Amino acid sequence: MRVGRDGVIGLIVTALSLGLLVQSLSLPQLPLTPIGPGFYPRIVLGLLALAGVVLFIQDVMANRAESSTDGEVQSPPGFWRVPLLFGIVAAYIFLLPILGYRLATILFVLALMPAIEWPTTIRAWATVIAISVATSLVSHLAFERYLLVLLPRGSLTGW
Amino acid sequence: MLELLGNALLTIMQWKYLLPLFLGTLMGVIGGAIPGVTITLTIIILLPFTFGLDPLQGLAAMTGVYVGGSAGGLITASLLGIPGTPSAIATTFDGFPMARAGEPGRAVWLGIWASCFGGLIGGLFLVLVTGPLAAIALQFGPWEYFSLFILALAMVAGLAEGSMTKGLISAGIGLLIAMFGNDPVGGIPRFTFGSDFLSGGFPFLPVLIGIFAFSQIMTDVENLSRPKAARASDQVKGSLRVSHLKVIGEIISRPFLLLWTTIVGIAIGVLPAIGGSAANMLAYDQAKKFSPHPERFGKGTPEGIIASESANNANVGGSLVTIMAFGIPGDAVTAVMLGAMTIHGIQSGPLFVSQNAELAYGIYAAYILAHPLMVLIMAVAAVIMLRISQVKLSILAPVVLVLCVIGAYAVNNTMNGVYVLLIFGVVGYALVRTRFPLAPLILGLILGEQIELNLIRAIMTDDNLWLFITRPISGGLLLVALVSVVLSIWQHVRHARRTATVEPDF
Repeated sequence: MRVGRDGVIGLIVTALSLGLLVQSLSLPQLPLTPIGPGFYPRIVLGLLALAGVVLFIQDVMANRAESSTDGEVQSPPGFWRVPLLFGIVAAYIFLLPILGYRLATILFVLALMPAIEWPTTIRAWATVIAISVATSLVSHLAFERYLLVLLPRGSLTGW
Repeated sequence: MLELLGNALLTIMQWKYLLPLFLGTLMGVIGGAIPGVTITLTIIILLPFTFGLDPLQGLAAMTGVYVGGSAGGLITASLLGIPGTPSAIATTFDGFPMARAGEPGRAVWLGIWASCFGGLIGGLFLVLVTGPLAAIALQFGPWEYFSLFILALAMVAGLAEGSMTKGLISAGIGLLIAMFGNDPVGGIPRFTFGSDFLSGGFPFLPVLIGIFAFSQIMTDVENLSRPKAARASDQVKGSLRVSHLKVIGEIISRPFLLLWTTIVGIAIGVLPAIGGSAANMLAYDQAKKFSPHPERFGKGTPEGIIASESANNANVGGSLVTIMAFGIPGDAVTAVMLGAMTIHGIQSGPLFVSQNAELAYGIYAAYILAHPLMVLIMAVAAVIMLRISQVKLSILAPVVLVLCVIGAYAVNNTMNGVYVLLIFGVVGYALVRTRFPLAPLILGLILGEQIELNLIRAIMTDDNLWLFITRPISGGLLLVALVSVVLSIWQHVRHARRTATVEPDF
C-alpha cells in the first residue's frame, strides 16, 4: 500500500477532527436548549473525519506511483524563497509592537525586497531604501492622519 | 424604486462619494491589469483604507474595484497575451491575435465597451431582481435558511476544480474555523483550550486576508524564476486610437451574442463562489457554439472578445445580487465587502435592502456609475496601465503585505488580528500547494455561524428533524444540493474514466 501526499493529509484531517470531536464531548449541556454547544461541531467534525478517510482511500486506490498528474508536483524554481519570506513576515510581526509601525515597516521592506530580488547596483540599493522609507512614512501618514486608523506604537521606542 | 435609484445616483455623484468610487475603479483597473494581482487581492489592499470612511464611501470604492478589476484584465490580455485576472483568460484567445494582427485599439476597445454594456445590463438585473429576491428570502424560516446555506456550500464544494473530496474538506475546515471561540447560542467557550488568544475566535477578515493574500503572493514569488510567458518583444506595437462609434456598432450589431453572454455572466455570478473566471470561459464557449463561424474563434474574432468581457462584468452584477438578497457572498471579492459591512455594523441578508435602502441603492448607483468611470479611465490611461502592469514583484509584494498587516490590525486595533493573519497565511499557502480549493473554505467560514444558528433555531422551534425535508422550499433546496453533489461526483467519475481511456498505458 503506497500512501501519497493526499493520503497523509486525509489521515491528518481525520486525526484532528476526531481529536476535536472528543474535546466537544466535554462541552456542557445548556439547561434551556434541547441541544448544547457541542451538537453542531460533532456533526461537522464527524463529516470532516469521514471526508479525511475518503481522501485517504481515494489516494491509496489511485495508486499514486502510476498517476502522477494529481500527485507529487515538483517544487517551483523559487520555492526556497517562500520559507524565507514567511520568516521575514514573522519577524516583522514580532517586532511591530516592540519597535513600532514606522521603524518595523522600514526594516521589513528593507529585508523583503532583496529577499525577492537581490539588488545588484548601488542605484538598485538606493531604490530599495527609498521604497522602504516611503512605504512606512506614506502609509503611516495616510492611515493615522487622514483615515484615523491608529497603528502599533513600539514598547521600546515609544513611536 | 426609480425615485430611490435617482436619489442614490445624485448622492453618488457628490464628490464625497464620487472620489472614492473613482479611486476604487482606478485601483481596480490597475490591479486587474497586473498579472498575478487578482481583484480579490486588490480589494484586500483597499480594505484598510475603507475603515476610516463612512459605509457608503467604503462600499462605493469596493464596488469600483470590482467593476474596474473585471475590465482591467483585458488590457494585458489583449496587448501582452497575459490575462491580468483569471476573468480575462478567454479575452486573450481573440484579443491578443487581433492586437498582433495590427488592431490593438479595436481589440482593447471592443473589450472595454463590451465590459461596459455587459456590466450595465447586469446592473439592470441587480436593480430589478435584488428586492423581489430578498422579499422571497424574507418568507424563509430557519429550516429554509439552513438548507439554502447547505445548498451554497454543496455547490461550491462540488464545483471546485480537481477533487470534490478536497472541496468538501475545504468547506469543513471553513466551518471548523468559525466554531472556535464562544458558541453563538449560550456563549460557552468552545475549543479555546484556556487560551485568551482563542477565546474570541478567529476574526473573519484577517483569516480571509491571510488565506488569499499570502497564497497569491507566495505563489507569485515561487514562480519568479520561471521564464515569463511573454517577453517585451512580444508586446503589441501600435496606437490604441479607434473609432468608438464603429466599435460600439460592432457590439450592438450582435445583440443576441451580447445578451446571451451577459445572461451567462449574470447566472454564474448569482451562483455562489464560481466567479468571473468561469463566467468568461463559459460565455466564450457559448459564443463559439452559437456562432455560424466557430472556426474563426481563437484567431482574433470580435465575438470572442465581446463574449468574454460582457460576461465577466455582468458576473459582478450577479454576485452583488446574491450578497444583497441572501447575505451569501458570490465570491471572495463580495466576501471582503461583507466583512467591511460587518465592521461598520451593517447586517447583510434579506432585510438589508429594506432596512438600509439608502445604502443598498447607493451600491446600485455606484455599480452603474463605475462603468462610465471605467471607460473614462481606460480612455485616458490604458497605455499607462500597461506600463504599471509591469511593476516588479519585489516592489509590489512588500507594499501589499504591509497593507495586509494594517488591514488585519485595524479590525480590532490589536495584534491578535495580525497573528491570525500570519497563521492563516501559512494555512492558505499550504492549502494552495496541496491543491485544496479556497472558495469552499471561505464560504464555510462566512456561513458557519449562520448555519449553526439556523439549525439550532429550527430545532428549538420544533424538534422534528423531518421538517427540513417536508417543508417544500427547504426540502427543494436540500434536493438541489443533493443533485448538485451527485452530479459533480458523476462528472468527476466520468472525467476520471475518460482520462484513464485516453492516457496511454506505459
